[in-house]
Amino acid sequence: MYAVETLELTKYYSRGKVKALESCSISVEKGKIFSLLGPNGAGKSTLIKILLGIVFPTKGYAKILDQDISNYKTHSHVGYLAENHRFPDFLTAQQVLYYFGKMSGMDTISLSKRIPELLKTVRLDKWASVKIRKFSKGMLQRLGVAQALINDPTILFLDEPTDGIDPIGRREIRDLLKSLRNMGKTIFLNSHLLSEVERVSDEIAILKDGRLIQKGGVDEFISIKQQYQLQASGGNTTIEGICNRLDIPLQSQNGFMNVSVMDEVQLNHLIDELRKNQTIIQAITPRKITLEDYFIEILESGDNQ
Amino acid sequence: MKLLAIIKLTFRESFAKKTFMAFFGISTLLCLLFLFALNLDIVDGAQSYISIFGAEVDQLIELEKIVLGVEGAIAVALFTAGIFLSLFATSNLIPSFLQSGSIDLIISKPLNRMQILLGRFIGSILIVAFNIFYLVITSWIIMSIKTGIWNWGFLLSGVIIVVTFSILFSLMTFLGILSRSGPFSLMVTYLILFISPFLLQRDRIYALLSDKIYGYILDGLYYFLPRTAELGVLTQKLVRGIDVYSLSALWTSLMFALIMLGASTLIFNKKNF
Repeated sequence: MYAVETLELTKYYSRGKVKALESCSISVEKGKIFSLLGPNGAGKSTLIKILLGIVFPTKGYAKILDQDISNYKTHSHVGYLAENHRFPDFLTAQQVLYYFGKMSGMDTISLSKRIPELLKTVRLDKWASVKIRKFSKGMLQRLGVAQALINDPTILFLDEPTDGIDPIGRREIRDLLKSLRNMGKTIFLNSHLLSEVERVSDEIAILKDGRLIQKGGVDEFISIKQQYQLQASGGNTTIEGICNRLDIPLQSQNGFMNVSVMDEVQLNHLIDELRKNQTIIQAITPRKITLEDYFIEILESGDNQ
Repeated sequence: MKLLAIIKLTFRESFAKKTFMAFFGISTLLCLLFLFALNLDIVDGAQSYISIFGAEVDQLIELEKIVLGVEGAIAVALFTAGIFLSLFATSNLIPSFLQSGSIDLIISKPLNRMQILLGRFIGSILIVAFNIFYLVITSWIIMSIKTGIWNWGFLLSGVIIVVTFSILFSLMTFLGILSRSGPFSLMVTYLILFISPFLLQRDRIYALLSDKIYGYILDGLYYFLPRTAELGVLTQKLVRGIDVYSLSALWTSLMFALIMLGASTLIFNKKNF
């Protein structure tokens, strides 16, 4: 059973002139952190809003926790942090959690225990009785995360959770997400901060112009097949000569040498040749790129097509 | 209870925006005005003189008749002022609720959309009901103590005011969902409120119309829109203890409210946020 499943999910606005989401099929395993990436207007928030019944799909089908998305009762197991969320600014932090907890169906006794715990988790315990109109953007965002967790949800939808949060706060949210995953919760994340996504996600999907263009594990995105980074001493000319002889493309980048081999056999052959020529190999590592590099590359390649 | 949380939140919003307190303050001011401006001097069950806001009425008339007449006039004044104030105080409650970033969070909770809308609607009605009953009951107590005549019919004016407000608020809810604008919904609702006396006098307008079709349109509007002018008259009759032979104004207006609420629910249920 998947935590989230969509099939050919489509959303058009203005009688089909605006295609916010087109035939999007994804499935998210339970207990994983799934991140949705894409430029502004790619359809990330639309997808989350459809899953939560805030926006209705034009076509397609979706399920949360094996229930059709039209079943609002499933929401008692769901937590949601909206992008640019707006809490009533006349409430204090604990009142926000109280009212949203009540709307989630929680009783007063459970809330009286849960609210102080959550405020402590998001470092707002000292601000519990302060009206939120006095809060900074980062504090509101942390309160938003607490609100999403108020009903101890099985699945959490977070739309730009680290938006406006300082680096320390970001690390805390990252750690919180990891600990939630360890508790078996599923997290569906939308974020622009690719370095954050790279650090916490198990799976990633990239959306562009409403279309799903790639999906997979984080390693699949950031490792480049059959490319290795070589660190060796013994003269670049020797290494270049050997690579030329073995017909192995070699590139120098930031003081490292990147080699592209056809397979592991060719890599071992290269190592043998280097050793034969008295080259001291310090390290050979599979070459990785950052998610950001990959993301930009894939979006640009899409633009060029 | 999830619905109760929305109702309480609506109350809090009204408090925070000071509309509740302003409403309460104006109601108190009106009551104080009755307390000091309405001067009734009673001698052996008959009236020696009554002065209202300083103006003397010097004929000897049976006191109860005078008191009922005065209370009827006050009830109509409360009806007009109460509706006007109530609409103004609640005009932004639906649009503010529908703001992006706010409604999204509420929809993500285990509530169906009808419950969400109903919670907000009931919350707004209760805010007005609280203030109107405070105003009506306090004025009634002041007048009754001063005159010694306890006219229970006066309390019905509170019920009619709240019912009339609910009818007009259903229109404001519909317009608020459509336009998400408080001022727009308020202006249109005031327009409907103010054209009601003209529609009541449509027989006199017929002669001025160039075509019969306009007469039919006026008739259609008269029967479809809330008949607030007649509800005001109904309030006066109930307060004065005059027999009421027809409640059609109340029924057709309630029908209008049901249509507006039904349409609001339909639109709200299908709206993308």
